[in-house]
Amino acid sequence: MNIESRKNALRHFFRKVVEPMGFKFTPDTELAEFLLDQEVKLEAKHGICFCPCQPIRRDRTRDMQIVCPCIPFHRKHYDAMKRCWCGLFVHQDVTDPDSLPQVSAKELGIE
Amino acid sequence: MQRVSMYTLSTCPWCKKTKKFFTDRGIPFDFTDTDLADEATQDQIMRELDAMGAHGFPFVRIGDQVVEGYRPDVYAKLLGI
Repeated sequence: MNIESRKNALRHFFRKVVEPMGFKFTPDTELAEFLLDQEVKLEAKHGICFCPCQPIRRDRTRDMQIVCPCIPFHRKHYDAMKRCWCGLFVHQDVTDPDSLPQVSAKELGIE
Repeated sequence: MQRVSMYTLSTCPWCKKTKKFFTDRGIPFDFTDTDLADEATQDQIMRELDAMGAHGFPFVRIGDQVVEGYRPDVYAKLLGI
């Protein structure tokens, strides 16, 4: 597998999925490259592009909720943070992703 | 100094930043890269996360407090630095 060609395919696919939900790729290109690298490696290992920052539990129902882009499963939480957990995607109005901390759903009173 | 330990993932950039935060300040910490651990250890970590209502990594324990996510401001406050 060519990692770069797979990353390009994921960029194309993810963009079409996240934009209608009001998200875009983070403007932090270094972070995006690293995360896409990890996702391609996770896909090679598990057959699925899991989130690099959430645990695979070997529980199909829960694991399906961390398949990238996992925004639909965590919509309230990610909308409140204006980013997804790993930061690959941010709200479309975000220009400074460093200003958006990871805040747990529990701390935000969600779930 | 309070004891610091953390559960992390080898694939997670925020986990790397968290380790760097403590390393840069000379604060010792224990960590487990969950994805590299054996299945029994992974299961035990998942039970701990579930008990705390946590979902994502890094999962940091400072003394008896836990912090989910890369939160340098919160780490500093809990450590009093």
